[in-house]
Amino acid sequence: MSVYDHSTYHDPRSPKLRVEALEDILVEKGIVDRARIDATIQKYEHDIGPMIGARLVAQAWVDPTFRERFLSDADAVVSDQGIRGAEIEHLEVKANEPGVHNVVVCTLCSCYPWGVLGLPPNWYKSPEYRARIVREPRAVLSEMGLDLDPATEVRVWDSSSETRFMVLPERPAGTDDMDVDELAELVPRDAMIGVARAIQP
Amino acid sequence: MTDAGPRDQPIHDLGGRRGWGTVPYDPNEPAFHADWERRVFGLLGPALGSSATRPGEFRYAIERLAPEDYFDRGYYGRWIATFETVLEEYGVIEPGEVDRRLDAPGGTGPGSRNRSVVAGDPNQLPADRQTPTPIARTVRRELEDAPRFVEGDEVIAPARRADGGHTRLAGYVVGKRGTVAKIHPAEVLPDSAAHDHGERAQHVYCVRYAAAELWGPSAEEGVVVHIDLYESYLEPAT
Repeated sequence: MSVYDHSTYHDPRSPKLRVEALEDILVEKGIVDRARIDATIQKYEHDIGPMIGARLVAQAWVDPTFRERFLSDADAVVSDQGIRGAEIEHLEVKANEPGVHNVVVCTLCSCYPWGVLGLPPNWYKSPEYRARIVREPRAVLSEMGLDLDPATEVRVWDSSSETRFMVLPERPAGTDDMDVDELAELVPRDAMIGVARAIQP
Repeated sequence: MTDAGPRDQPIHDLGGRRGWGTVPYDPNEPAFHADWERRVFGLLGPALGSSATRPGEFRYAIERLAPEDYFDRGYYGRWIATFETVLEEYGVIEPGEVDRRLDAPGGTGPGSRNRSVVAGDPNQLPADRQTPTPIARTVRRELEDAPRFVEGDEVIAPARRADGGHTRLAGYVVGKRGTVAKIHPAEVLPDSAAHDHGERAQHVYCVRYAAAELWGPSAEEGVVVHIDLYESYLEPAT
């Protein structure tokens, strides 16, 4: 072991130390209540996540009337179902279909429909994804494991206003007998961002 | 660092920039990778509620970070650095207060190297207008006048404002011909609100660009890019 023990090195630039210090300062000033911070974390770690969006997708797969409304007025669907998370003041849903593939990005920051998909994954917020998905989406999707037919049009949606986007993936074949609960299990988060397909059971 | 792109392109304006490598993809990512990320996320409401509350203000503060604070510690690293800078700017905490709490040398924190707020030139913004006050807290606004453009119109965003302030006009579409694909709900203009020049609410358009228009001969085949643009950014394409 070296004389200099990195495991205890106190780097004052580390975000871990800085958030601890800032939280302490704000608690002392009476601006922050630790219990409220804990509640916010709990909410987005357990209650608000991609299972909300996955259920909407499954409903759209089984109910053509719902699907039509979800695609034409997602705000009404969100309101009807009492979905109240943040970052979905105006939601638009883009349907994949044979010959059309949609993929969502925010090149300027990391806008993302929290209320239906939860918090965005790191790769979505990475400079690599933000820089490249608008310029070379086929190459990026292929690197991420999604190879598209060259004849399929790729539609990229860059979230630069307060409108948020999610993708309605295609329903996998051979799922005619499945109900909404079962179908929702086939919808990974990344299929609703547009970098993956729904799971083929 | 990678290709900086057009010289006036700010660090956060990443769309289309060359030089970035493989996306760090993990299909099974957790919401948080470390407990400090949880704490940063939980601070969002209280930190901004006592400082940067106007539309666009938090994003503008992120954009003013020094490159090391923007890129080196990920998304929640950007957030904690920005909480500290805006809380200092609003006087909620003293300049250097976090450094002192950590017995760190002065100038360690992100507020020692970020860019200052620019005043923003109101003459480069569209006129303000009266809109009904919404019942709930929202950036959406009802505008009396009809949108200037309709679906199918050819449009162009000629240039960004010269004052260097906050904008949602991504550099990669500047000067390119696009087509109005859809009209979104009208919104407060972040370019104005972030600088405390009023709401100046605007119609918002989803504009479609062919990849070849954006990227030239190197563009992939069969790709279109849609981006949302505020009416004041746009002119008819002639």
